[in-house]
Amino acid sequence: MVNRRAFLLTSCASLLPLLTRPAWAQSSSDRAAAFVKTTGDAILKAMQTAGTNAERRKMIGPIIDRAIDVDGVAKFCLGRFWNTATPDQRQRYTELFHEVLIGNITDKLGEYQQVKLTVGRSLARDDNEIVSSTIERPNNPITTVQWVVANVATDPKVIDVIAEETSLRLTQRSDYASFLSHNNNDVDKLIAAMKQQLAQN
Amino acid sequence: MDADFRHTTIPTTWLLARVWRVVLFAGLLAVILTGCATPPPADDKDAVADYKLTNDPLEPTNRVFYDVNNGLDTVLLKPAAQAYRFVLPGGVRDGIHNVLTNLGTTVQLSNDVMQGKPRRAGDTTMRFLINSTFGVVGIFDIAKDWGYPNHDTDFGMTLANWGVTDGPFLFLPVLGPSSPRDLAGFGVDMVQDPFTWIGHTTAMQTVNWTKFGLNALDSRERYLDPIEQIKKAALDPYATFRSLYRQHRDGQLKALREDNRATIPVWFPQAQTTTPPQTR
Repeated sequence: MVNRRAFLLTSCASLLPLLTRPAWAQSSSDRAAAFVKTTGDAILKAMQTAGTNAERRKMIGPIIDRAIDVDGVAKFCLGRFWNTATPDQRQRYTELFHEVLIGNITDKLGEYQQVKLTVGRSLARDDNEIVSSTIERPNNPITTVQWVVANVATDPKVIDVIAEETSLRLTQRSDYASFLSHNNNDVDKLIAAMKQQLAQN
Repeated sequence: MDADFRHTTIPTTWLLARVWRVVLFAGLLAVILTGCATPPPADDKDAVADYKLTNDPLEPTNRVFYDVNNGLDTVLLKPAAQAYRFVLPGGVRDGIHNVLTNLGTTVQLSNDVMQGKPRRAGDTTMRFLINSTFGVVGIFDIAKDWGYPNHDTDFGMTLANWGVTDGPFLFLPVLGPSSPRDLAGFGVDMVQDPFTWIGHTTAMQTVNWTKFGLNALDSRERYLDPIEQIKKAALDPYATFRSLYRQHRDGQLKALREDNRATIPVWFPQAQTTTPPQTR
């Protein structure tokens, strides 16, 4: 009898994680969606309040550093060349990557005063959360954008942005890989090109 | 009867022959002049893996066409699209886009059926019926609001759904980024399009050319800003467009393969589940 009761209790206890799992998953998804909403709204607000492009970059820089795993994305984008780069090259490249990323985001959103971000639901995939959203800009079709958020429970960071099924970091990685393969795999030349790109923008 | 049939084949032969002749001739010429990409040394395994993943053995040729198309775009298409945006208000441009989409229904429906996607075929049919009537010859996309959104499809996607792989990357004169599979798909879609076959009168040829021109303007105008931003942000725009094209196609195919909605709509009386009679 005792054994039977113990068996039932153990069975119920083993089921508890299964019962509580949906609630945990729900909260994680909610947290990821809220994080994207807060970050997106902060960037859009900065874009609208700042007057010049330089001011905008200054304002959204800290937001991006806080919300995006820029170092991780930079490493991913350099691909196999990260392993062959010297520590000095890695540092210079990563610093430039921060500036390039901020510049690209500012350029993409800067021309539009009325950008509307609508955050939808979030789904767990692998260890990350994929938050769906739509972005509306004047004169442009509505764009569906997914935000890949890692470490939702502890320190949430965006590790990729997928616009209309195209990944920002994959595209950037392919751009850099092609540039390097046409420039003797020389990371210094990539750094020089990134500097030139920043100076032009 | 035979005479009529011969008449109807003239524009098709003419149009198809022109497109294929331009593409093939320019392609052959460029391959002869520029050659193929040089694979990396076999001992550099990472570089070889990258080369295989990129799958662009005709890269030198493709880059020539990228430059040609880019030049044509800068001189012709982009200014035309900018003028189109300047002259026509957004609502009118949306109306034109919707009409053009509605005119592509036959090709879309045919591909939906060949892909074995009855719900997509149903959506396409309902979209055509609703938008052609309530949407005033397709000007307003009422069907989208009534639960029948548009979806991307073409014969390249049909081939992919049948298991045909895309093959090496191609950048074609006028047509832009593609692959052997998608190029074949483009040709079949032209053959499937009734507008290819009914353009034997001057009036219909005018309609066909207007449709062709508006399609080009509409597509380019919708991507004026993104293309500009990509060119500005990329160190190697050709490689960026190659990557974006492939990712976009993968996304379209993923959406197609994952669209396995039940064939019986939810509003239709559901059939009673019957248990097969026991034989023993």
